[in-house]
Amino acid sequence: MDFMESLSRATYYIMIKNKKGLLGFIILLALGMVAVFADYLAPYDPYEIVGDPFQPPSDKFPLGTNDIGQDILSEVIHGTRISFYVGLTAPTIATIIGLVLGLMAGYLGRIFDDIISGVIDIMLSIPSLPLIIVLAAYLGPSLTNIILVIAFFEWVGVARVVRAQTLSVKERPYIEVAKALGASSSRIMFRHILPNIAPLTIAYIILGATSAILTEAGLSFLGLGDPTAKSWGQILNHAYARNAFALGLWMWAIIPGLLIAVIGMGFTLLGMAIEEYVNPRLKSYEAK
Amino acid sequence: MSKSFLVKRSIRLIIVFFIIILINFLLPRVMPGNPATILANEYQLPPEAVESLEELLKLDRPLSEQFIAYLYSLFTGQWGYSYKYYPTTVFELIMQRLPWTLLLLGTSSITVFLMGVALGIVAGWRRGTRVDAAITFSAVLVYAIPYYWLALTFQFVFGNVLGWFPISQALTPGAVYNSVLDYIADVLWHLTLPVLAITLTAYATYTLVTRNTMVDVLSEDFIMVDAAKGLPQRKIMWHAARNAILPPVTLLAIRIGHIVGGAVFTETVFSYPGVGYLIYESIIFKDYPVLNAAFFMLALTVIIANFIADLIYSLLDPRVKYER
Repeated sequence: MDFMESLSRATYYIMIKNKKGLLGFIILLALGMVAVFADYLAPYDPYEIVGDPFQPPSDKFPLGTNDIGQDILSEVIHGTRISFYVGLTAPTIATIIGLVLGLMAGYLGRIFDDIISGVIDIMLSIPSLPLIIVLAAYLGPSLTNIILVIAFFEWVGVARVVRAQTLSVKERPYIEVAKALGASSSRIMFRHILPNIAPLTIAYIILGATSAILTEAGLSFLGLGDPTAKSWGQILNHAYARNAFALGLWMWAIIPGLLIAVIGMGFTLLGMAIEEYVNPRLKSYEAK
Repeated sequence: MSKSFLVKRSIRLIIVFFIIILINFLLPRVMPGNPATILANEYQLPPEAVESLEELLKLDRPLSEQFIAYLYSLFTGQWGYSYKYYPTTVFELIMQRLPWTLLLLGTSSITVFLMGVALGIVAGWRRGTRVDAAITFSAVLVYAIPYYWLALTFQFVFGNVLGWFPISQALTPGAVYNSVLDYIADVLWHLTLPVLAITLTAYATYTLVTRNTMVDVLSEDFIMVDAAKGLPQRKIMWHAARNAILPPVTLLAIRIGHIVGGAVFTETVFSYPGVGYLIYESIIFKDYPVLNAAFFMLALTVIIANFIADLIYSLLDPRVKYER
């Protein structure tokens, strides 16, 4: 009961009272609806050739057709699904890994901390984007590979914050009590410390979504995307490769890029609202 | 600057450098299909050719022996030949392209930092006002804009439509320069749009961090003392700003990789002849030796830049001295 009450209070603050959160929530809700009802909203099958190639926007094709005669509007609508899929799976995987390793480093300390902190330190020094690009190039074009590669680099940030949080939570008296009562390390980590840092990790999933979406779009733009999954980045790649601007088909390039920015903004705003709720020091900035 | 700090950072630099070499060595060898078979598939080579290629690339030797040979050729600049630009060697190709990337990176790092920090200081100083809201909101908006999208848009608007700036390359093709100044002017003219595209998509993080630090600093006692002393507002702002500048410097060290990412995309859009555009070309042409070398060079650039930023940071912040 108590949990439900605090959850609903958190939801109210994050999504209604906080202006950033409300705006982010509205953006994501609207795009989420598009993703769910893509089959009904899209006028055509995005993989089907429905008209002549390189057509300018018209009543029949509101955003025109692409280089092989597929409807761009339908491509864009279906692309929403890929964005949500990448934006939610990659950071979720990253957060789970970061959470477990961060808890271990923070709570178990000693050799665990030495190893995990060392790995974090080195991972942070390796330039991620160039490495993501070569990895994606060698692994071959598949959405799953892209998601795994993104997650492989995103867990580091989560682990670092979780470790720091765990270090401060583990000094609290009730943890001492649990230890005295003979609770096992894993029980203390997952039952007693985890609930304290869970809200923060949710903020990380939401904030990580933006960078995951941008990375997938970037890889697709460079021609490393999954050809069977039409994402916004891939539509942009085709528009770029076929010189859409020079052909006067500017909607082809403008719309998908704009949508990447909008969904990214939605996730960032919602993430900032959660962070402000979790971390009262940030919240007080608003009041000032 | 303490010695142990320098030693610690140097050890990390060496470890990271070694890991990057290892990745570069292993990737082509552990992935399905070794470089010889990939090449054979790409150019429909007969089986004898595959065998002699494997011999040439020493793929039939044990991995440890291959690694030693690899290290030797890496440090002697024997990086093989580009498939696309044959007979140009990979080393020549990279050395032709690297200066342009360094120019683009150096210029954009400076503009990103200056613009981000300046806006952050203003937003933090006028916290809670409309100015603050406008700066913060626009920062959140541009934070998620893809580099290549803004680059494409700039290319179209300022290049194709208005004709103010060139839309590709780093120099006017076939141009004859009367003086060094002419040459520099042409370089800068071609540099403007790429730098602008990177700056406007990358400044946001610096603004948000500087703003929050500024707000923090402004609530500290010494600011109250300043105000009590009756110092003019401008002086108080300067005092706070000087103290709010360290976190963005750290950020520059951590996020220099993001600017490198921005360079890869922006160079691609503008066909700017740097390492980033080379990566795009090597992906398209499956030019793996070039891809590996380009990755190696970019990674090296980032870790060296990080190291330099670390040193600058330790010079700026006296507290780092006491770190073990």
